[in-house]
Amino acid sequence: MTLEELRDRMKAARVEIAENRLELVRRLLTDALRPIHAMDSRKHRTLEPAVTFDAGRPRGDHGQ
Amino acid sequence: MASDELPYATIRDIGARFRRRALSPVELTRALLERIERLDPGLHAFVTVTADRALADAKAAETALGRGDFSSPLLGIPVGYKDIYATRGILTTGGSALLADWIPTEDATCVTRLQRGGAVMLGKLITHEFAFGIQFPGHRFAAAKNPWDLERMPGGSSSGSGAALAAGLAFGALGSDTGGSIRGPASFCGIVGLKPTYGRCSRAGVLTLSWTLDHTGPMARTVEDCAYLLQALAGHDAADPASSREPVPDYVAPLSRGVRGLRVGVVREYFFEGIDPEVEKGFEQALATLRQLGATVEDVQIPDIQAAGAYTAILLAEAFAYHEHDLREHPERFGEILRERMLAGALITASEYVQAQRLRAQLRADMNAVLRRVDVLATPTSPKPAPTFTTVYDPEYGFPRGNTGPFNMTGLPALAVPCGFTAAGLPLSIQITGRPFDEATVLRVGHTYEQATSWRTRHPNL
Repeated sequence: MTLEELRDRMKAARVEIAENRLELVRRLLTDALRPIHAMDSRKHRTLEPAVTFDAGRPRGDHGQ
Repeated sequence: MASDELPYATIRDIGARFRRRALSPVELTRALLERIERLDPGLHAFVTVTADRALADAKAAETALGRGDFSSPLLGIPVGYKDIYATRGILTTGGSALLADWIPTEDATCVTRLQRGGAVMLGKLITHEFAFGIQFPGHRFAAAKNPWDLERMPGGSSSGSGAALAAGLAFGALGSDTGGSIRGPASFCGIVGLKPTYGRCSRAGVLTLSWTLDHTGPMARTVEDCAYLLQALAGHDAADPASSREPVPDYVAPLSRGVRGLRVGVVREYFFEGIDPEVEKGFEQALATLRQLGATVEDVQIPDIQAAGAYTAILLAEAFAYHEHDLREHPERFGEILRERMLAGALITASEYVQAQRLRAQLRADMNAVLRRVDVLATPTSPKPAPTFTTVYDPEYGFPRGNTGPFNMTGLPALAVPCGFTAAGLPLSIQITGRPFDEATVLRVGHTYEQATSWRTRHPNL
């Protein structure tokens, strides 16, 4: 992630970060996003269903 | 037992003394309160000492013991709670200026459960700001110091819990762990910390950092003491949507079964990157001890282990989502480092967050597959010993990745156990991770190793 991209993201998210801290935040996000940007999204399963219903649960306790 | 050894006695030892009438809960609590008054000004482990409450709890325990009630091993045992656990009628700050005057009207479920077990509440233990920020000099709540070296951090965010236990100021403590906040302080302070399986211990009444990664759990000086605490804490709680209905087994009785025949898998990729040579040496010696005790130790590979780094993206995004209102309305009430970290979470896109969760699902599947071949995984708890405050306060100091976050991603139970000291006298730690809800095996491995070594008998010179 470049500093320019970081600034673009800040503008889109409406947040302000002190200019002298941008490089640290850039490094933090670069590390956090490295595995995500390296992944082939076609090779990973989709996530669990948002809601599941289990007939074995007590009444009124269906769904997560 | 000499008076200077009493603060480092085990919960089992204390219980035996209570039963023999050689010690009373009130005497013990008074001794601890005096020790806190003498030592804590130099350690800053406590935010609030609840002396009156502690003595009232101790008197109630004394009455119960007088009736011959020995049903709970925690009866009359003085403990402390990380200051992100709500305590009814008692200041709960979260280490934050935003909550500096908050007096909850309810107890967190974990607090209730330890109190039901008869534990004595000594007070509230300092936490890093909202379990995530670093307390720089001048912060409203002073940072806790590491009892082994006052110039070093005790780890975080359960910093006060780690410092209090290492200093003999409590016999047990509650911590919370989103990326290692129980196991990190346990590692740096030479104590034991357990992050149980996700859903094993309730988070109701505990301040949220990142709800898909947050865990609560016990910290103590021995594995058996941790097992006693877990026994009281574990179990379903309808107030926590992630709470599991998985039955709670006996955690204490299996401790003595040894490790003969158990398979220990050592994960080297990811967990040895940038490792300190003394940490590596201590870890290898711990593996040798486990082999001598009869365990089979072998290297294992987790195919997508580098995906574990995505845990930071989940943590940042969820922390921002939870605190967004206050970050936008009262940014000045957050410490500078915490504010930056949380605002960074606003810069993660929806797609990136979802992809991180997909990587997490893959990592969980990969790790569970490996845990069908071995009983537990072993890694160093931290790649380095406790850092100095000077290091951490450097403006260029980043967010350390650590060896603990992967098990918050997968929700597996993970235990930090002392495994030696550096030449400079700083504690080292081994992390033992098990199958979902198999805390019993994790504790058993930790206990067997611990009892075969003497690390637990060393205490800081205070």
